[in-house]
Amino acid sequence: MRPAPQLLVLTVGQGIAAGLAVALAALWSMGVLTHREAVWLVLLALLTAAIGGVASFFHMHHMAAARYILRRLKSSWLSREALTTGLFGGSLAILAAWSLFGSTASWAYVWWLWVTAAAGLLAMWVTAMLYATIPAVLSWHTPVTVISLLSLGLLSGASWTGLVLPLGDHVFRVFSVALMVFMLFVLGIKALHWRHFGESHGRLRAETGTGLPFAPYRLQDTGTTKPPYRMQTQVWPAIPVPVRNLFYGLIVLFVGVGPLLCLLLARLTGVEVLSVIFPGLVSVGVVLERWLFFADATHSSRVFFVDEPRHPSRVAAAAKKRAPVSQA
Amino acid sequence: MQLTIITDLNKCVGCKSCQMSCKEHNTSGAFGPVPDETPYQDPDGMWWNRIITMESGEYPNTSVLYLPKACMHCYDAPCVPVCPTGASYKRADNGVVLIDYDTCIGCQLCMWACPYGVREFDEEEGVVKKCTLCIDRLEDESLPPQERQPACVQSCPTHARTFGDLDDPNSEVSRLVQERQGFGLLPELGARPSVHYLPRRPAPSPVEREELEEALKERY
Repeated sequence: MRPAPQLLVLTVGQGIAAGLAVALAALWSMGVLTHREAVWLVLLALLTAAIGGVASFFHMHHMAAARYILRRLKSSWLSREALTTGLFGGSLAILAAWSLFGSTASWAYVWWLWVTAAAGLLAMWVTAMLYATIPAVLSWHTPVTVISLLSLGLLSGASWTGLVLPLGDHVFRVFSVALMVFMLFVLGIKALHWRHFGESHGRLRAETGTGLPFAPYRLQDTGTTKPPYRMQTQVWPAIPVPVRNLFYGLIVLFVGVGPLLCLLLARLTGVEVLSVIFPGLVSVGVVLERWLFFADATHSSRVFFVDEPRHPSRVAAAAKKRAPVSQA
Repeated sequence: MQLTIITDLNKCVGCKSCQMSCKEHNTSGAFGPVPDETPYQDPDGMWWNRIITMESGEYPNTSVLYLPKACMHCYDAPCVPVCPTGASYKRADNGVVLIDYDTCIGCQLCMWACPYGVREFDEEEGVVKKCTLCIDRLEDESLPPQERQPACVQSCPTHARTFGDLDDPNSEVSRLVQERQGFGLLPELGARPSVHYLPRRPAPSPVEREELEEALKERY
């Protein structure tokens, strides 16, 4: 599937914002945050949510019809996504105003923090369901997609707290073990997800895609279209195996190994410079993961666009040796 | 009522006249919905009906299949419920799946949901478009009744395509599907396509490799 930059920014931005909202609610409720730190975290969440929200507008190519987007709440996950992401953005905006100008000492503030965190989780869940409920995109049609998007969002949001709270800070020292365990969980989920992606590559069969009884198959003409399939954005030329493996390696490095080392070093030495590296690594890893999520997804229509491995032609090889038919 | 097209794969010769007539019919006139900005430089532009050519089997027992592929006008069209604005809809009176270009936001979610990849994105207008089963022809009362059918059906030189109501058990299309084991594509995805294909039969008689090599030796 052709990876759209708008969707990449939307899903990554929404995940960071929701993860930040959950981390903020948890840390504030435990009383380990100062008012100044809380304000910075809220503003960061608002900023990433706004970037994601703006990107989602650019994904609509016919803005005049945008006013109808909530018409199909009953059946369309995209309608629901527009509603829940809007609610999350609104609750974050209220939280930011409250944090800047209101009293943060009341129970109502804590209650609103959790409302915002719940709205963020709901928005992320709805977005994940949008992808997971499309049977035609075989790679996404699994509950693992939902867990993967949710856990990566939470991880990236939690890592962004490192921009406000230094990794050497006592908060991170206390929670670093939990964070490390969560990172290993995320890597495990991603491994499961990639396994499903791999299985999806082989699930399409020309027998059911064309009604042909005999194998193997060679696509001779896709019907006046060619890669990168300008008019059919649901298909995308297959990613070569070495490139895919390179992405797997980079994602494991940026989402897993690198941040784990950062946390370990910070826990052991308390070096402050790692505070910026930690969220940076995770964010780069999440962006790479999301690009691969779109680019490597197998759509069922691929059977009509992409050929099975070719065999050399015996006829062509023989023609070079023999005399032309007309002279025979 | 479920209007549909049945294609006999024995009769289809891959001439692409259905592809051409679809393009011609839907680009003609000032308001033709198929974009055709640079027709001579842009042959891989938008086509609502594409003929897939596929070779099957191993040499020497190979065969070629021509598969005309347009919107399947599915009973449970997956593109309809995912549309956030209701732009994609299925008509209750004749089962044709259509798109309202005025309310389409161009999000392309329906293109992901369609298992057959028959929806195409119009970059100029920012909306998704697809085969309408020539609904303008079907409902044009100024046309004689025998011409009220899709352009691709009318233009087929071998009469491989048959148009009719699949829900009417006495219709020609129902009879063909019933008697000749008509099949839909990718049934495992559960869209229940109304467009059916009639399988090729009899199966081509297999040629043994030795037999062919012997013939080649004799000939050359």
